[in-house]
Amino acid sequence: MLPSTPRPLATMIAAAALALGLSACASTKTPEAAADVAETNDHLEPFNRAMFKVDQGLDAVVVRPVAWTYRKVVPGFARRGVTNFLRNLRSPITFANDVLQGDMNHAGETMGRFLINTTVGIGGLGDPATDLGVPYHYEDFGQTLAVWGVDSGSYLYLPIIGPTSVRDGFGLAVDNFAFDPVTWYSYADNPGWVQWAYFGTLLIDIKADTMPVTDELKASSIDYYASLRAAYQQNRAKEVRNGAAAPLPSMSTEDGDPFAAPAKK
Amino acid sequence: MISRRDFTAASLTLGACAGLPAFARAQDWRNDPKSFVEKFAQVGISEILTAPSSQKEKTEKFRVLFRDYFDIPAIGRFVLGRAARTATPDENNKFNPLFEDVIVYTWSRRFGEYKGQSLKVNDSAADGDEGSVVNSTILGNEGGNFVVQWRLRKRDGGNRIVDVIIEGVSMAITYRQEYATIIQQNGGVGGLIAQMEKQVTDLKAKVG
Repeated sequence: MLPSTPRPLATMIAAAALALGLSACASTKTPEAAADVAETNDHLEPFNRAMFKVDQGLDAVVVRPVAWTYRKVVPGFARRGVTNFLRNLRSPITFANDVLQGDMNHAGETMGRFLINTTVGIGGLGDPATDLGVPYHYEDFGQTLAVWGVDSGSYLYLPIIGPTSVRDGFGLAVDNFAFDPVTWYSYADNPGWVQWAYFGTLLIDIKADTMPVTDELKASSIDYYASLRAAYQQNRAKEVRNGAAAPLPSMSTEDGDPFAAPAKK
Repeated sequence: MISRRDFTAASLTLGACAGLPAFARAQDWRNDPKSFVEKFAQVGISEILTAPSSQKEKTEKFRVLFRDYFDIPAIGRFVLGRAARTATPDENNKFNPLFEDVIVYTWSRRFGEYKGQSLKVNDSAADGDEGSVVNSTILGNEGGNFVVQWRLRKRDGGNRIVDVIIEGVSMAITYRQEYATIIQQNGGVGGLIAQMEKQVTDLKAKVG
């Protein structure tokens, strides 16, 4: 199932991620701290926490107020339209990654959805394809690398982009430069504000969508950075599995089943 | 000769015996993973989320339900993780009740947001030697549907829930990793307990 051509690239990135991971491991102090890092996959915690602070600052001052107002002022059906439009506009990213993953069924679905939603769905504002039984799915280059066997590398937190990993951050850059139609449009000597307007809209659309979940996580945790890190990486692993329920996150420890009843005395 | 009193006693005994299989059947849902989760959702919706009781009554009802359907000591052990070995007996004793409070008040805070969602149990699969995982879907209205998995373990008297996994995010793992970080960076288990106590006070104030 796996294409063999992209191996050199995959190996290169894996090597870079591994080097990054190893150098970070070397600086870990106690065995407990090392065990924690093994579990949280956060080899860049000091850097990530600093970036998190910057991001939360920007979030409080700009992103969140705009997204909050957007949710209050713009009715649900119109926001839905914006989400549909952006998804349709960005479908070349999913299509390219479907193909790179060798998943021709999904590639066909993505193409079909694009044709139906662009025409019947009036330029992508509507999503009649879902009603016809072809639901939306999303693939990115980070997921493609995962399918090719590249490990996620360390957890990575970036301002504006938010939680990601070394692999997925790299994937995001590849998607943006190679597969994003708005980038192609900008290459062709078109005005620069188009791309900025696009990034801005995309950012607010995603923030407005995820805000209820992240707000709740923030309100219910003591260390929001740590709980977001745990929740994000588990959810991302599920996306890479394309939503397949099994396997559940492994819970085996040196003691066997971690939920076993204690031995009766 | 059978006296009237004997007859009454006999019929009562008979009645009780005849009632036994029905009673046993009524408890079968505790042993069947899917029925167990269905029952939890059904009781939660009818007796808490849509019940006409006060917030305070709902919170206490949820605490009873949480203790009955979940294996809190097992979850507490997993969540506290490696730190349980280095914690003092006093810290270990404090942790589980405090963790129970954190969950009870975190969930109670949001009872008012219920908008008629329902839980559809799909199937169940084995999970280790003594456990199972029940796959379900929460059917929402505006937010869409999402996938919830329930990790169960067999205990005396039937199943107990040890983890809830929402869209791939395990409650137990998320708490475990957050707490490990707090223990590591904020003064050990004692530091964690102090922060949890503060959190419970804050949550209680919000629940009202």
